[in-house]
Amino acid sequence: MKKDFRRLVTLLGALLLTAAIPALAHVGSPDVYYEGDAGPYHLFVTVRMPQVIPGVAEIEVRCEGHDVNSVQIVPLRLSGPGSTFPPTPDLAAPSKGDPQFFTGRLWLMESGALQVRVMADGGKGTGELSVPVAAFAQRTYAMQKPLAGLMIVLMLILGIGMISIAAAGAREASLKRGETPGPANARRAKIAIAVTIILVAGLVYLAKAWWGAEDTNYRNRVAFYQPPTAETRLENGDRLVIRARSENPTWSAKINMGEVVPDHNHLMHLFLVELPGLNRLWHLHPTLLDGTFADDLPDMPAGHYQVFADVVDARGFPWTLVGTVDLPKINGGGLAGDDSSWSGDPIGSREGQRVSQLPDGSRMIWERGAGPLKANATMDFKFSVQDKNGSPADDLEPYMGMAGHAEFVRSDLSVFAHVHPAGSMPMASLEMAQAGLLGHTPSMPSGMAMASATGTLPAQVSFPYGFPKPGDYRIFVQVKRAGKVETGVFDAQVQ
Amino acid sequence: MAGTISVEQQIQARTVERADAETSAIPWYIWCCLASVVSAVVGSAWDISWHESVGRDTFWTAAHMLVYLSGILAGISCGYLILSTTFQKNSPLYAVSISMWGFRGPLGAFICAWGGVAMIASAPFDNWWHNSYGLDVKILSPPHVLLALGMIGIRFGTLVMVLAEMNRAERIYGRRLERILFVTVVFLMGMTVGISQEFTNRIFMHGARLYLVMMIAAPIWIATVAWVARSRWAATIMTALYTAMHLCFTWIFPLFPAEPKLGPVYQHVTHLVPPDFPMLLIVPAIVFDLMRRRIADWSRWKQAATLGVAFLVSFIAVQWPFANFLMSPASRNRIFETTNYPYFVPSTSPWVRNIFVHTEHTSGEFWVRMMIALCVAILMVRIGMAWGEWMQRIRR
Repeated sequence: MKKDFRRLVTLLGALLLTAAIPALAHVGSPDVYYEGDAGPYHLFVTVRMPQVIPGVAEIEVRCEGHDVNSVQIVPLRLSGPGSTFPPTPDLAAPSKGDPQFFTGRLWLMESGALQVRVMADGGKGTGELSVPVAAFAQRTYAMQKPLAGLMIVLMLILGIGMISIAAAGAREASLKRGETPGPANARRAKIAIAVTIILVAGLVYLAKAWWGAEDTNYRNRVAFYQPPTAETRLENGDRLVIRARSENPTWSAKINMGEVVPDHNHLMHLFLVELPGLNRLWHLHPTLLDGTFADDLPDMPAGHYQVFADVVDARGFPWTLVGTVDLPKINGGGLAGDDSSWSGDPIGSREGQRVSQLPDGSRMIWERGAGPLKANATMDFKFSVQDKNGSPADDLEPYMGMAGHAEFVRSDLSVFAHVHPAGSMPMASLEMAQAGLLGHTPSMPSGMAMASATGTLPAQVSFPYGFPKPGDYRIFVQVKRAGKVETGVFDAQVQ
Repeated sequence: MAGTISVEQQIQARTVERADAETSAIPWYIWCCLASVVSAVVGSAWDISWHESVGRDTFWTAAHMLVYLSGILAGISCGYLILSTTFQKNSPLYAVSISMWGFRGPLGAFICAWGGVAMIASAPFDNWWHNSYGLDVKILSPPHVLLALGMIGIRFGTLVMVLAEMNRAERIYGRRLERILFVTVVFLMGMTVGISQEFTNRIFMHGARLYLVMMIAAPIWIATVAWVARSRWAATIMTALYTAMHLCFTWIFPLFPAEPKLGPVYQHVTHLVPPDFPMLLIVPAIVFDLMRRRIADWSRWKQAATLGVAFLVSFIAVQWPFANFLMSPASRNRIFETTNYPYFVPSTSPWVRNIFVHTEHTSGEFWVRMMIALCVAILMVRIGMAWGEWMQRIRR
């Protein structure tokens, strides 16, 4: 019986947590993964975001070489006032087993677009980088039953104790040595009891009202950062119009969709994923007009589609608009510009496969270890492209300025992450963060620098990321070869 | 001849009394409770300064340890006192104790123990609060108020214990206890004034809200101590001690280096940020002592009305112009410490720019609030008087 109760509590807790996991920038994937250079040092940085704000973020820094002696970390705002006034940095602690792996904890005091600055010092001098992070309250958190029980007992002791002390004081406090209380003292005690009961009841009422107000305030903050709904409508048969709408009334007053900033050349990255099998994907780039986004859809079959639309607001805070749309058959013509698409078999059919066939007979290979995939583990997802002869492809070129784009989608749509070789943050936020570094010279983050230098890219592309929770995932990996975007698709079961 | 004997007897009686008083040590439990109160006072002031200077802390900071030590010390010492009075045969306190839930002990010991339980109960509550609603960003939160109630409980319990001892004591021993009484009331007033500090910054000194808040926080203790203590200058002595204690914090904290560990950092902080220069409560306290002697035979409500009005008016009369001084460059020195700002206060803040913030939008609102402050002052003085009278009767 006890075990069943525990299981029920655990299950309910898990359900509550699942329901409350926010969908922000990336849906259900709040932790930030970054790979880049701090001066002469190549670093992999993971920022595990706190569930509440103000809260403590866990920072992990792995150095690729063997020459980093110390790592300092410090949080600050991404943009605006405060972004140039960092506090004294913290020294990250090196791991006992791996001296090139450093960890630290940082207090993030406010919600919004922040950054974690990392300074590395070693044999090659010093270097720094900055990782943008989206800080927000993620969930509400009920009091655990044992603690609630303890608090009720303590409050009863305090309440009854206060009444009893008042009664005893009124009855006996003024008695002389050895004197016993008389009827007048007993009467005073009764009055004291009545008055103190009213006082305690008043205190309890006020405390409850206050607590309730604080809780409502906090829930509003959580709701504020929930993903806005992507409201969609179809105009003229093929023009999809998207408008952001939030359940939180203050959201639209504070967040101006008319002031979003370009994220690797586009104001919005729209992903349409066919449901229920996730067996079709469109990666489109609507344009902005008066706070709404619109795109002329290419040819599409009729279907029920999941909408994930990534934008970055003026402060560098990333938002993902989420919704669904039922579309009739669209006769919009071919793909234009940076738009791309993929169609194939439904999720689950590629489980265990490490090779994804590409349309021209070439293939994409997921170079992963033999072990199981674990949730919350930082991984470097490596994919290599081979031509139809099995040789490394030599015709990869930048796709929207980067070596590749990867989208991680959980089967129940509770997780969606749009990741790049530099990491899981939007490139627009990353550029803001890098711009604030001392001695910053405009340069491209990891995965972008190589592209701009040579025009062609190596046959391998990698993405730092970690699955936020167990489950079945589909990974879409998009690269550009000889002017054409190709998408490799992999299924993953995560423990 | 008879007269000569009488004088000799009187001298002898007084000598015996003095000898008794000198040999009558202040009981250990009063010292324990006083140590507990001092621990909480220093811990709280240090903690607030820490949050303004460094920003980030853990449960195990020295300031937190001092605060929780207070609860533990009061809880253990008063728990022991109650148990020993209940179960020890021939306990000297048995005949001057009260009974509650089958236990016996001084009333103050029960109140202190209650405060200890409240403080200890606030720890898991506060921890849960941080996990649920985020780490500390403000002084006033439900778990912090529970902690504050516990601290008030310990201070009030200590006061009651001192009063019971004092009211049973002979004159000279009573005077020694009265000094401890002043200290305990100082800590009580420091608590209520300190908890209001979010509303008592110098930028609010030309608004009615500050005076309303101060009338809630201060006159009750001034009146209480004036009515319970035997000294004619009780309110003045107590408020002078309060001012001295506050000045100690204001002048000593900046001697310790500190640097912000949270951002954004808007102020260059190199040492612990001290509390603001204390309010000039000493002036209304002197006025209070002077006036109450002259109106001692008036009805209680008439006295309360007169003293309440005098308190508020004299406080405004000195604090309002003093605010101008605090805003001026002349106050920016080691004495008045008006250049110390918490790291998180932006340079655009009225505080840093030394600009008064008017907490009332219209003159009507200002005067209504001032009238409320006046009524509150009178009411608080009356409550303090009643409390003081009740406290004079405490014997156990």
